[in-house]
Amino acid sequence: MKGFFQELVRNRILFLMIAPALLFFIVFAYVPMVGVYYAFTRFSFDGGLFGGEFIGFKNFEFLFNSGVLWNLTKNTVLYNIAFIIISNLLQLACAIFLSELPGKWFKKSTQSIMFLPFFVSFVLVGAFVFNLFSNAGVVNTMLTSMGLQPYDFYLHTAPWKYIIVFFHVWKGLGYGTVIYLAAIMSISDEYHEAAKIDGANIFKRVRHITLPLLVPTFILLILLSLGGILKGQFDLFYQIIGNNGMLYNSTDIIDTYVYRSLAVNFDIGMGTAAGLYQSLFGFVLIILVNYIIRKVQKDYALF
Amino acid sequence: MKRKIKTMGTLLVSTAIMASMLAACGSGNNSNTNSNTGTNAEASANTGSNNKADAKTPDTSKKVELTWYLLGDPAKDQAKVTAELNKMLQQDLNTTIKLNFTTWTDWQTKYNLLLASGEKIDMIFASSWADFYKFANQGAFMPLNDLLPTYAPATWSSISEQDWKEATVNDKIYAVPATYPEYTPDGIVYRDDWRQELGLPEITDVNSIEAYLDGVKKSKGVTPINGKAYNEVFTMFKAFQGYQQIGGDSGVIVSKSYDTPRDIVAYPFTPEFEEWVKKMKTWAEKGFWKSDTLSDQKEAGDAIKTGQGAVYWRNAPGAGGFITGLQSSNPDIKMNYFPFSRFHGLTTPTLSVNNAMAIPKSAPNAERSLMVLDKLRNDPKYYDLFNYGIEGTHYSMDADGKHIVTPPAGVEAKGFVGYDIATWGVRVESMERKKQAGGWEGFDALLEEFKSQSKPNIFAQVIMDYAPVKSQQAAVNSVIQQYGMPLMMGLVPDVDKAIATYRKQLEAAGVNDVLKYVQEQANKTFDAQGIK
Repeated sequence: MKGFFQELVRNRILFLMIAPALLFFIVFAYVPMVGVYYAFTRFSFDGGLFGGEFIGFKNFEFLFNSGVLWNLTKNTVLYNIAFIIISNLLQLACAIFLSELPGKWFKKSTQSIMFLPFFVSFVLVGAFVFNLFSNAGVVNTMLTSMGLQPYDFYLHTAPWKYIIVFFHVWKGLGYGTVIYLAAIMSISDEYHEAAKIDGANIFKRVRHITLPLLVPTFILLILLSLGGILKGQFDLFYQIIGNNGMLYNSTDIIDTYVYRSLAVNFDIGMGTAAGLYQSLFGFVLIILVNYIIRKVQKDYALF
Repeated sequence: MKRKIKTMGTLLVSTAIMASMLAACGSGNNSNTNSNTGTNAEASANTGSNNKADAKTPDTSKKVELTWYLLGDPAKDQAKVTAELNKMLQQDLNTTIKLNFTTWTDWQTKYNLLLASGEKIDMIFASSWADFYKFANQGAFMPLNDLLPTYAPATWSSISEQDWKEATVNDKIYAVPATYPEYTPDGIVYRDDWRQELGLPEITDVNSIEAYLDGVKKSKGVTPINGKAYNEVFTMFKAFQGYQQIGGDSGVIVSKSYDTPRDIVAYPFTPEFEEWVKKMKTWAEKGFWKSDTLSDQKEAGDAIKTGQGAVYWRNAPGAGGFITGLQSSNPDIKMNYFPFSRFHGLTTPTLSVNNAMAIPKSAPNAERSLMVLDKLRNDPKYYDLFNYGIEGTHYSMDADGKHIVTPPAGVEAKGFVGYDIATWGVRVESMERKKQAGGWEGFDALLEEFKSQSKPNIFAQVIMDYAPVKSQQAAVNSVIQQYGMPLMMGLVPDVDKAIATYRKQLEAAGVNDVLKYVQEQANKTFDAQGIK
């Protein structure tokens, strides 16, 4: 304890600097955890927020009873795995390309253009998608003008997996690229200089210098995203698919299912129950993966 | 991002609850310190009926600021109007109001949270379509029986017994209903000029609707219901079969007809449903709506304005508003209205609590709130200000001295922004200065028609909170959207197979438990009211 206070005094400036972040997590992540309590109670106005009757796991029943949970979990996890892997690989590739590009002006403007979609709201993305793929949308207009049969995108589930993954990747590309680019920038130029003198060409340098040095960043980012693997991107799915039950077989994720089930009958307990299930699953997963990584390559583990 | 708030599935909601709870704690402390400094008149106000009940004029010696919540968005000049109102209230009742709005975005979520978080609210809009019965049953509102005669005497005596009865849950009155009887049957507005031009039959039934849609599609090359078409088709289905929903939105559970209220079924299991969705399949194939209709976000009415559509679902007053709106924006388009109530020659008036004001349990100043409400409902000066804004700025009196005209005399129509907020909960028909349905000339005749075939609304009062079957109900809701809606819109490739899947999924989700629950609740209510 004494050591802790000494540490506190000695590094007071550093602690002061981290204080806002700590406060943020306490207020927005730790205090709300009290809400987990709602998952096990029935809310009543008489009792107020903490006077609800304790009902055990009854709030979780709607997830398990209908027998859709497996399919939902599978969809959510598979989508997120596709998001994580494809996004990270593409971001990595773009970052390497950008870093090797000569010409500052071109580099900067490319980066900006790639970053732009990050600021587009999902409502707009939904509008884009509808105007691209609806009956009178861009794609079908093109198909008919080429003399081909128009395709009813909104009646078939097949194309939507790709459309959703595409738009997710498109939206996050610029942001992730910047992170990787920063990691690349921190690689000392000396390695490259030395390799150049030894006659390594650009591909060899990327393969043997840049990539290995990016692995820790890559793993860190993957680990961080794994925690949210059961948290669907509600905005993305809801805005693109909306109420279209025709497409749910391949596009329904936990978040959209919960929304659909509870939108009519607002129920705090059941909503919290679903959230708890997602968080718990993510927690277990991240501990597990971290454990495996620590076994294999200790330096790369998160904790 | 706004949508994200709606994912009740995430812990976000509990974050929100916590946040509002913290806020509530904060304001709770505030009001406590306030009442310490005040007289004990206020403190006793919290306990409902009390020794002041026999005093003729309630004590208003303590200044009180009330917090009210209305649905929807504030008007552009809200601050000005509220200031004016507070000036009057300050003088008459030593009170000011802080008027809050939920905005229309996600209002339902916000409304639920406001009540659940126990925020200190003195009065809030309440309605059967905002789960009034459910909330009252769960104890979210304050019972008003003891307060009304003392603090809102004019309102207490002017509202009819039937109206009070409809605001009563478990023998207690939980809201002050608006006195504004309405008929709101579903129906469609359609382009009558096209019908006449193409020589199509007058719309009287489903066959003539089909003929009309077909004619428009073939001869005009226009998708008749161009946009979201689910409401058009679903309300037509319900009205055509004569199905009655029970206690608000009861999903797939309906009473089969008004005359046999106890014959309660889940409609997807009926042969009528099979027949109907087969018909809808042919309609979809004929192109009456587009195959992407379930993903479309556009209102079919917007397409009518641009000449790209012909049919739009509206209730009767809404139809009037839509038609008069078009008359001024697109005078060359001629619309008509077909209420689905004509299928069975039956309309039920809306409940009195279709629009009402209620006092949440947490209200610190229920008495003063009722006194203000009494003023708003009964004093023309207050009524006009609260509902229509400031005379001369937002409206002026018509020559008849009864109705208002907007924009006011001497104000340019172009760029005029009126004063229009959702004051539905305090409306009183005799005080109204606006005509129903936007003053559409066809409305009076319709109203006569509705009145002549009117029967009391016996279904809306069945109180259900689905507590014992809520997990089944949640699963059923999801199945309706996934399998029921595509079927209703005729979008599935194989109808028979899709019906079988839909039924199987409904059963797996527990529709029979929900059905049994609704039957029990409905029978209980019908027994109590002596309905066979």
